[in-house]
Amino acid sequence: MDGFALELREIVKTYPGGVRALDGVDLAVRPRELHALCGENGAGKTTLAAIAAARLQATRGRVTAAGTVGFVPQHPHLVERMRVWENVVLGREPRRGLRLDAVAARERVRNLSARFALPVEPDARIESLDAGAMQRVEILRELAREPAVLILDEPTAALAPGESDALFATLQTLAASGTAILVVTHDLGDIAEYAERITVLRAGRVAARFERGARASEIARAMVGGELPVLATRIDGPTAPCLEVRALSARAGADALHDFDLDVRAGEIVGIAGVEGNGQRALADAVAGLTPYRGTVRLDGRELSAGDPGGRIAAGLRTIPRDRQREGLVLEWTLAENLALGDQRRRPLRRGPFLDREAARARARDVIARFDVRAPSLEARAYALSGGNQQKLLAGRALAARPRLLLACEPTRGIDVGAAALLRSRVIEARNAGVAVLVISLELDELFELADRIVVLFRGTRTGEFARDGFDRARIGAALAGVRAG
Amino acid sequence: MNEALAGLASFATLALIKAAPIAFAALGGVLCERSGVVDVALEGQLAAGAFTAVVVSAASGNPLLGLAAGIAAGALLGYALGLAATRFGADQIVAGIGLNVFALGACAFGLVLVFGREGTSDEVHALGNRGEAALILAGFGCAAALHALFYASPWGLRVRACAENPAAVRDAGLDPGRMRRLACTAGGALAGLGGVFLALAELDLYSDGMTAGRGFIALAAVIFGGWTPLGAAAASLVFGALSALQFGLQRSGIPSEAMQALPYLAALAALAGWTGRARAPQADGVPEERRFD
Amino acid sequence: MRAAAWVAVGGLALAGAGATLLAGANPLEAAGALLRGALGGPQQIAETLVQTASLLFPALAVGFALRGGLFNIGADGQAVAGGLVAGLIGAAWPGAGGFALVAALAGGTLAGGAWGALAGVLRARFGGSEVIATLMLNVLAGLLATYLLSGPLRAPGATGPETAALPESVWLPLLMPGTRLSVALPLALALAAALQIVLRRTIYGFELRAAGLAPETARRAGIDLGAIAFSALSLSGAMAGLGGATIVTGVLHRFDPALSPGYGFIGIAVALVGGLEPARIALSAFGFAILQSGSLTLQAFAHVPKDVIVLLEGLAIVALAGRRAFVARATLPP
Repeated sequence: MDGFALELREIVKTYPGGVRALDGVDLAVRPRELHALCGENGAGKTTLAAIAAARLQATRGRVTAAGTVGFVPQHPHLVERMRVWENVVLGREPRRGLRLDAVAARERVRNLSARFALPVEPDARIESLDAGAMQRVEILRELAREPAVLILDEPTAALAPGESDALFATLQTLAASGTAILVVTHDLGDIAEYAERITVLRAGRVAARFERGARASEIARAMVGGELPVLATRIDGPTAPCLEVRALSARAGADALHDFDLDVRAGEIVGIAGVEGNGQRALADAVAGLTPYRGTVRLDGRELSAGDPGGRIAAGLRTIPRDRQREGLVLEWTLAENLALGDQRRRPLRRGPFLDREAARARARDVIARFDVRAPSLEARAYALSGGNQQKLLAGRALAARPRLLLACEPTRGIDVGAAALLRSRVIEARNAGVAVLVISLELDELFELADRIVVLFRGTRTGEFARDGFDRARIGAALAGVRAG
Repeated sequence: MNEALAGLASFATLALIKAAPIAFAALGGVLCERSGVVDVALEGQLAAGAFTAVVVSAASGNPLLGLAAGIAAGALLGYALGLAATRFGADQIVAGIGLNVFALGACAFGLVLVFGREGTSDEVHALGNRGEAALILAGFGCAAALHALFYASPWGLRVRACAENPAAVRDAGLDPGRMRRLACTAGGALAGLGGVFLALAELDLYSDGMTAGRGFIALAAVIFGGWTPLGAAAASLVFGALSALQFGLQRSGIPSEAMQALPYLAALAALAGWTGRARAPQADGVPEERRFD
Repeated sequence: MRAAAWVAVGGLALAGAGATLLAGANPLEAAGALLRGALGGPQQIAETLVQTASLLFPALAVGFALRGGLFNIGADGQAVAGGLVAGLIGAAWPGAGGFALVAALAGGTLAGGAWGALAGVLRARFGGSEVIATLMLNVLAGLLATYLLSGPLRAPGATGPETAALPESVWLPLLMPGTRLSVALPLALALAAALQIVLRRTIYGFELRAAGLAPETARRAGIDLGAIAFSALSLSGAMAGLGGATIVTGVLHRFDPALSPGYGFIGIAVALVGGLEPARIALSAFGFAILQSGSLTLQAFAHVPKDVIVLLEGLAIVALAGRRAFVARATLPP
């Protein structure tokens, strides 16, 4: 140990079945350093981080740390029904005799909050907090243990551009005052400015190492390993109104939408931009008929009734859901069976009360070919596919039915570059063929690639709309943070 | 006037006696469920507690030893449930039903083996009236203690967190599996105590089927009481009162089956949302590991 | 997975041997007595087949609901409901013969279905746990039956809560004269075959399975989870009700509230051992029936109390709870 805060030597991680997630990775973080671990989805960064934080066991290799390693996961592991102070002191509760000393606990939280400049409300319930606040709570919880190293996994995913800046400033201060920081991210964004050193992972190996000041384009190239794949050409055709949303108000958990209007025309792609938790889920669920709402949703001029997903499918709405494993697939089923979902009541898949299995398999063969789904056979179970292939399967299913409207929720979340490019190309091709497309994405770059128009959501209302020739990162960023455009 | 007071007193006493086994089982159920493990094994734990208490009391001549043994039997079943749920990722409802069937079968089996005949054991040394009263007081004490434990102690915070988000507990450096097992064992012990009360306080023998669905009434009390110690205890008192009422109303036109049905109907009403808050803990019944990473 | 199954079976065998030894008997002799009692001759085999039918109905009911992610623990109560109605119809139907019998069976099926539907409504409309609902309804069915038969619908001359004895014209035809083996068995097997087809090949079965394995996915595919819950629990109850009706018309020839002693719970074991596939459940039911019908001989000749079977069945259920291949359940609603 030559004065490193965290050292990973020759880490190998193999999963049963032979998948090698990490293939001999070396990584060292110096004390007081802000270090970034970058890579595309599927490169192995989260696996490496989990191993570094002792949440996962490496198959081979050594992890040495100069003290405790704190870990802030991408999705917070907080007890939602409890309060901030309860979550922060869990496991290290201040006591008075046998009792839990709630007063001292709250005091401790306030002290930590002041010391690290992370404002939180000790008595607030987690379920009432937004993503940024939850992240601050999670960071405080880890900092309370005085770690030598703090690892953050994709911390900017749920933050607005302005909030990201604040976070990085905080992290820099933290690093300077003694805690080494390792940020894991696939979004270059601002990390290139703030990080002292950057390690790029690709396909389980270290592809490159950079120092502060390296150009973002170089880093991006190292992440992808070459040039970015080219997308399908856009061909403009005639458009007509397809989806009309008026005065829509809805809730999906803590996510809310207020009095929202939207038009999506056939042959165009409308992108919904926004930091996570600003109404996207409410919008998606309302359009898909999964949650009650006020207002009207019309498809091809016909009004849809709330709470009727089946009716929408019949009317020509197809969805690529946000969570492919829980909302899109039946993991235990074969590819053919999964591809029949959604259309099982219509011909040709239906023959009287029976399911036409031959028709289902024909459809499966077609989708697998068109969407380059890599699977051992038609009879393979969905759980055996990689994330990218699962997502391609779902996109193929949605487009196979020749929908009137395609609703795509974070369509390339967590999948590799190749699969993402293919998926986006297929979406553009669908647009060219006259499908109305509504894409909800947390990645601005994706929307820049796909959308004809971008509508920005903030706290459930529209703060701006931008046409393709007016895609301005700065103005859109401001709209994301709540500044009304124009 | 005196007659009315005397009648009220005897009614209250009967209600407490009827409520006690249910309350102990319900408190045990709350403890288990609030750690994140669904507990349908209360019936079996009651039976095991009752039977073991009787056997040990008969063998040793000392009802206090019987008391200890009954508690231990319930605890053992509770541990088995916790183990199945945490180490083996078993479906908690199926495991609970299995333990119920096992316990009831084992008690019937043991009954023949030990006492040589089916149906009923011999009468044994029981705890007497003083013992009965002591246990009832202990019941109130347990409810209060459990309440304090859950809401004012560090351990209570951790256990409740296990039922809501075990990942958060693990991140805090704790072992949710171990806490769940502990909670289930303690819960089983309480339910076993309920069985001891049945066998050594209310009556003084064990007979086949004496638990008569009290374990399920206790489950109803847990739900009706909103998964809290005080709520479950209060619900048990209500059910005990209903049971006592049954005796009083025997000569009126109301059929006894209607009275017996009330606790179950109450649970159904709770399910239909008539009691407002009926929120099970978030991770109740969800084993910790996910199936497909 | 195979290895774990063998360990479980071995464990159960050991437990059985241990219990037998405790009872002062020789395990091998006891096993022999059990098998002789179950399969030793045509009479014994017939009785075992009778038990197979009695177990198969609740097992199919439980297994079917489980495929939809729903826990029907109330098969006993549904059998009571079905048996009660069948007994009442059978005892009271004027005129002879086949119509009365068919009416009794149909009535029993509908009654069981209605009893299951109650749980279905609570689940579909209010999101109430069907585990609790079916458990509670179990007890309520017995109470209702006892009340009705002790009071308003009391049979003339009855000493307890029973219906009048059914006239022979309403008895299920026998397959083998001199035994209790009736057409209940082929009826149960036909039900199993029908369910196999429904699950594998029909659209309803497709939607049911989707709802059981991945409820959020199913919802987004336009599948109405509430309708599935209601229909599956009702159908499940109907199957258990039919089972109760066959016990009343084929075995007991009268209604007795204790007609389904724990079969609903053992049915869970039977269904799980059968991997929730109707065809395998039938085989599994036969295996469990051997245990049930052999247990009396076990007690009489080897002097091992017959409850050892119940004990072992309980252990089997616990062992089965750990099966990884277990169908994912829709979680209990908040």
